[in-house]
Amino acid sequence: MRRFRILTLVATLLGLLLFSGCIEVTQNQSALDPKGPVAKQQADAFYVTLYLTTFLWIVVGGALLWAVWRYRLKKTDDPDELPEQSHGHPLIEVGLILFSAACLVVVAVPTIEGILMTKSLPEEYAEGAITVDVTGYQWWWAFDYPEEDVTTANELVIPVGKAVKLNLRSADVIHSFWLPKLAGKVDLVPGQENFMWIQADEPGMYWGQCAEFCGDSHAYMLFRCRAVPEEEYRQWLADLKAGPEVPVDAAEMPAEYPEQVVQGKDVFMKNCYSCHMVGGKGGVNGPNLTNFAERSTIASGWLDNNEENLFRWIKEPHKIKPGNYMWYGVPMKTPGGGMIVMDGLDKAELSDEDIHAVVAYLQTLK
Amino acid sequence: MANGTSTTSIPHHSGHQSEDEKPQRSFFGLVQRPQQGCHPIVDWLTTVDHKKIGIMYGGFALLFLLVGGVEALMIRAQLFLPENDFVSARLYNQLFTMHGTTMIFLAVMPLNAAFFNYMMILQIGARDVAFPRLNAFSLWTFVAGAVLINLSWFWEAFHGGWFGYAPLSGKDYNPGMGADFWILSLQILGVASLAASFNFITTILNMRAPGMKMMRLPVFTWMTLITSFLIILAFPAITIALLELMFDRHFGTHFFDATFGGRPILWQHLFWIFGHPEVYILILPAMGIVSEVLPTFSRKPLFGYPLIVMSGAFIGFLGFAVWSHHMFTVGLGVVATTAFALMTMLIAIPTGVKIFNWIGTLWGGKIRFTTPMLYSLGFIWMFMMGGFTGIMHSSVPVDHQQQDSYFVVAHFHYVLIGGALFALFSGIYYWMPKMSGKLMHETWGKVSFWIMFFGFNLAFFPMHLLGMTGMPRRTHSYLGDMGWNEWNAWSTVGALILGVGIGSAVVQIVYTWARGEKCGKDPWDARTLEWATENPPKDYNFARIPEINARDQVWADKYGKPEEKSGPGESEPHGIHMPDRSWYPLSASFGLFMVGLGFVFHKQNFLGWDHNLEMAFIGGGILLLSVYLWALEGPRGYHIHPEED
Repeated sequence: MRRFRILTLVATLLGLLLFSGCIEVTQNQSALDPKGPVAKQQADAFYVTLYLTTFLWIVVGGALLWAVWRYRLKKTDDPDELPEQSHGHPLIEVGLILFSAACLVVVAVPTIEGILMTKSLPEEYAEGAITVDVTGYQWWWAFDYPEEDVTTANELVIPVGKAVKLNLRSADVIHSFWLPKLAGKVDLVPGQENFMWIQADEPGMYWGQCAEFCGDSHAYMLFRCRAVPEEEYRQWLADLKAGPEVPVDAAEMPAEYPEQVVQGKDVFMKNCYSCHMVGGKGGVNGPNLTNFAERSTIASGWLDNNEENLFRWIKEPHKIKPGNYMWYGVPMKTPGGGMIVMDGLDKAELSDEDIHAVVAYLQTLK
Repeated sequence: MANGTSTTSIPHHSGHQSEDEKPQRSFFGLVQRPQQGCHPIVDWLTTVDHKKIGIMYGGFALLFLLVGGVEALMIRAQLFLPENDFVSARLYNQLFTMHGTTMIFLAVMPLNAAFFNYMMILQIGARDVAFPRLNAFSLWTFVAGAVLINLSWFWEAFHGGWFGYAPLSGKDYNPGMGADFWILSLQILGVASLAASFNFITTILNMRAPGMKMMRLPVFTWMTLITSFLIILAFPAITIALLELMFDRHFGTHFFDATFGGRPILWQHLFWIFGHPEVYILILPAMGIVSEVLPTFSRKPLFGYPLIVMSGAFIGFLGFAVWSHHMFTVGLGVVATTAFALMTMLIAIPTGVKIFNWIGTLWGGKIRFTTPMLYSLGFIWMFMMGGFTGIMHSSVPVDHQQQDSYFVVAHFHYVLIGGALFALFSGIYYWMPKMSGKLMHETWGKVSFWIMFFGFNLAFFPMHLLGMTGMPRRTHSYLGDMGWNEWNAWSTVGALILGVGIGSAVVQIVYTWARGEKCGKDPWDARTLEWATENPPKDYNFARIPEINARDQVWADKYGKPEEKSGPGESEPHGIHMPDRSWYPLSASFGLFMVGLGFVFHKQNFLGWDHNLEMAFIGGGILLLSVYLWALEGPRGYHIHPEED
C-alpha cells in the first residue's frame, strides 16, 4: 500500500514536470523571457514568489489532502463514535502565524529591491542613458526623443545596452505602457507624468501593448520596440532628422518620381497633412509619419506594413479599429470645456485611385 | 407624533389574537394592508418575513448568476479564436463591464444577503431582523437597481469596465447613457446594501437569544456582522465617487478632468477604498459558510474559533489599508508603494490562519463526504491557490508584469468562483433542507461539483500562463502569432463545462424546491442553532426562544454535558407577536427605481416621451410619500399561539 502511494506520487510529479515542459514561455510578449535588467529583476521576483508558494502549496495542500484522506469516515468506523471535540491549540496557532510572517519576509526583500530599482534610474545604468517621452493616444503611441528633437510613432527604436528613460503621458484617457520582455507596465495618466526605464541587453524586435482598458479599440493598441546597435541607432536618428527627400509641402516633385507618387503627395497634403507630420511639417493629432515606410507595422502594431494592408487601413480604418479617429474625426477640447470634432476620412470621399496614390507616396517615406 | 398615540396596536391586555381589530388600509385607504391568508403573490410582494425575503434574494441572485454567466460565455466565445468576430469590440466591452458588475453586485452579494437573511436570524435565536419592513425595502431596492442596470441593454450598456476609470467613464469619452445607467444603478444598489447592513448589525447586536454571548455566535453570524460593517464603511466612498462622476458628466464639474485641474487618480483612490473592502464583502461570508460546513461534517468543533473570528475582523480592518495595491502601476511614490505592498503581505497572515484552522478542524475528525462538504473542500483548495497568486501580486515588481494581465483575471476568478461561489453552493446544498424541508440529491450534487471543479480549473488555470506570456485583460481580440491560441481555446472549453456544471446545479435547486425528498429536523447532525427549528421553520422560528449555554448549542443538546444544554426558554403568555405585511417598502423601492430611471433619461427620449426630469420627480414623490406613510402605519400584526413541542 505504501509503495503504491509513493509510486502515485512519483507519477504525479513526473506528469507535472512533463506538463510544465510543454509550457512555452518565449512568446513575443512573454514576461518570463526577460531581455533587460528591469524585466530580469521582475522575473526573478516572480520566481521567488512562485517557489515560495509552490512550497506552501505542497505543505499546506499536502496537509489538507492528508487530513481529508486520513480522517475520512471509514466503513469500518463506528458511525456513532464521536471524535475528540478539541477546540484548538494556541501553540500551534501562534507558531503558524510566525511561520507565515517569516515566509512573507522572503517576498518582501525582492519587492523592495524592485521598487527602488524602477522608481528612478539606478546610478550604475546612468551612463549614456537616453530619454524618450511616450504619449498615449486613443489608440496609438507617440515617441518623442527630446534630446534629439525627433518624433516617431508606434515603433520605438532604442540602442542596445543603454538605459532608456521613459516619461509617460497621456493625451486623453489612461493607458499603460507594457513591454513585457523589457519591463512591467506603468500607466500613462492624463495630468501627470510617470517614469519608468527600460534597457535591452540583446538586439531584437520586442512586442508591447497597452494594458489599461482605454475604450473601443484597446485591444488594437499595440507597439513595437526595436533594439539596435549603437551605430544603427545613430543612423536611424540621422535619417529621421533629415526627413524625406522631398519636403512634404514642396510645390513640385522631382521628375524621377512616378506620377502616382506625385498624385499621392497631393492627396496627402489635402487630406492627411493637417493631422500627420512628415519631416517636421504637418499636424500633431495623428502619428508622425516621417519614417513611415521603415516601420514594420501599421495601425499601431496590429497589421503588417504592406501595400495591401495600408490600402485597407486608409479605405476603412473604422472597420479595422472601431471608433478610430482617423475615420470619425479627432475630438478636441475647447477652452470652454466643450468638444469640437475635426473632420475625419468619412467626410473626405477618397476614391480607390486616391488611396492607391497615397499608399504609393507613403511607401517612399524612408 | 407623540409616543402615546402610535397607531401600532399590540393588545397587551388580551391573551388572544387581535382579530377584532379592523384591517388597516394602505395608501389613504386605497388598498387593504395584506392580512394572513392573502393571495400568495400579494404575500410575497409585501412580506416582512426574513425567510421569504432571504429566499427571494437567493432566487434573484441565481437568476442574475445565469445572466452574468451567459455574458461570460459570450466573452469566452469571442476569445476562442484569435481575431474572432463573434461580437463587436463595443459589445465585448459592454459584456465584460456588465459581467463584472452583475456577478459582484447582482449575484454574489445578494446570494450572501440571502443567507444573512435566512440563516443569521435563526443562528442567533431571533424571530426576525430588527427592522422587518426595512429588510423588505432592501430587497426591493436591490431588485430596482438590478432591473435598472439590466434595462440598459435596451438602450446602451456601459462599456467602461466594472471599475469605470475616469476619464474614460466621463462624458468626453463615454457620451452615451450607458455610464448614467451604471452610475445610478450602483447608487440604488448601494442604498439597498446600506439599509440591509444597518439592519443586520442592529439585529446581531440586540436580538440574540439569552445566553448567546458574542463569543458564542456561530462564525457565519460573525462574518455577517463584519461584512455589514465593511459595507457601511466602504459604500460611502463609492457613493461619493459616483456622485462626483455624475457631476463631471452633467453639471460641468472637473473632479476627474485633468484638462481643468482634476485628478483621474482621485477616482481610483475613491473607487478602491470601496473596491478593496468589497472584495472582503464578497469573500468573508463565504468563509463563514465554510466555517459552518467543515465542523459539521468533521463532527468536531471549529479549530481555533476565537482566532478565526479575530482574523476575520482583522482582514476586514486591514482591507481598508491596502486599496492602493490595485494602483501599483499608476505612479505612486516609493514610500506609498512600499507601505501598501507590506500591508498587503500582512493581510496574507490572517487569511493563512483561516486556512490552517480549517485544516485543523478536519484533523482528527470523522469526515463525511457529502455534497456541501465537497464544495467546502473545493473552496479551500481553490481559495488557497487564489491566495498564492495574491501573494505574488503583493510583490510590486511582480505586479508590474501581472497587473491588468490575464494573470489577474485568473487570480480573482480563483478567489471569487473557486472561493466565493463554491462556498455559496456549499451553503445552498447545506441549508437547502433548512429552507425547503427537502434534501438535495447527493449523487447529482456530486456530479455537478466535479463538473464545476474540472471546468473551472480548465477555464481559469491557463489564464495564469496567458497573463505571464503577455496577454492583457479586456482585449476583445488578439493576434494569432502570440502563442496564446491553445490556452484561450482550452479556457473557452473549460468555461463551457463550468457553465454546464453551474446550470445543472441550478436545475437541481429548482427541482429540489419543487419536488425534492422530504427530510427530518436535523439531517446533517449539525451543530449550530438554526438546526433547532423545524425544516422549514415556522413563521415565528422558535416557539420559545431558547436559553443558550454553549457555542455549538444544537450539538451540545445532543452530545454535550448537562450544564451545556440549552434552557427551555420562556413561553410568551400572550402569544407570539407577528408584524403585518406592508405595501410601503415595495412602493418606496419602486419610487427609487423611477428616480434612477428619470435621472438616466434626463433630456432623453424615453419610449417616445421627450423626457426631462418628470419621472424623477414622480418617483421622488412616491418614495417620500411611501416612507411617510410607512412611518405612520406601525407594525400592527397578530398573535400566534404555537403548539409547544
